[in-house]
Amino acid sequence: MMMGVTPYLILSAILLVLGLVIVISKRNAIAMLIGVEFILNAATLNLVAFSRHGIGALSGQTAALFVIVLAAAEAVVALAIFLNFYHTIATVDIDQGDQLKG
Amino acid sequence: MLEMTMFFLFAFLSVAAGVAILLSTNIVRMAFWLITMLVAVAGLYFLMGAYFLGVIQILVYVGGVAVLLVFGVMLTSRRLAPTLRPGRGEAVWLTLVGAVLLVGLVLSTLQAHWQQQVAPAANSAADIGRSLLGDFLGPFELASVLLLVAMLGAAYLARPKTPTQGLPHTKGTTP
Repeated sequence: MMMGVTPYLILSAILLVLGLVIVISKRNAIAMLIGVEFILNAATLNLVAFSRHGIGALSGQTAALFVIVLAAAEAVVALAIFLNFYHTIATVDIDQGDQLKG
Repeated sequence: MLEMTMFFLFAFLSVAAGVAILLSTNIVRMAFWLITMLVAVAGLYFLMGAYFLGVIQILVYVGGVAVLLVFGVMLTSRRLAPTLRPGRGEAVWLTLVGAVLLVGLVLSTLQAHWQQQVAPAANSAADIGRSLLGDFLGPFELASVLLLVAMLGAAYLARPKTPTQGLPHTKGTTP
């Protein structure tokens, strides 16, 4: 028997919520980045599942490829920013970066 | 039947990795669980017949992004953030918000009537390449520009500070 698209969508929803909760709850900047990777993977899983089940043909897989490229670029720039943050404030605890707080 | 079993194996692995990251307080273990999730998602791609994408996922994510994250951990974790765990009140709110969002998403997914046919297996690397240089040529070129800009930006942001700026400072602080 073939599985439909629904199990993949439910798994993707679970991964999205997990990533969101990780981003909100963690105070370490790099842990937040891990949460963002979860969210991006949930989105990619959706795209590939739709592509598999005849919605949009191959466009889903190509779009997933772009998501992977964007995720790599995002991780590189975010890590560079966190390194600067670390050099300035000597920690990666994002709660310490509140100089702009009014 | 085999597909079902493999799906639940990979799904369990990825969700367990997410829960482990949520409960963990050690950033290096979090990176390990991230790699577990990425490999499980790559397995799901293989299961869906997206072989090229699965290989790219392992190459770029596990081989690139995850290693980059571990490097970031090692460069910044000399003095780790004191508490990685949220307080009790925060945890209650987080569980509530997460549960509401999850229930909403799952319900809307179950309500929709998705097309349930399986696409013909025309998803080799050659087809993806034709798609990239055909319908997606514009985004493809934009992605190349984005990668160049990201590389330059990261190199600029992470460069060591100029020695002319640091020299008088060190001279002033050391007696």
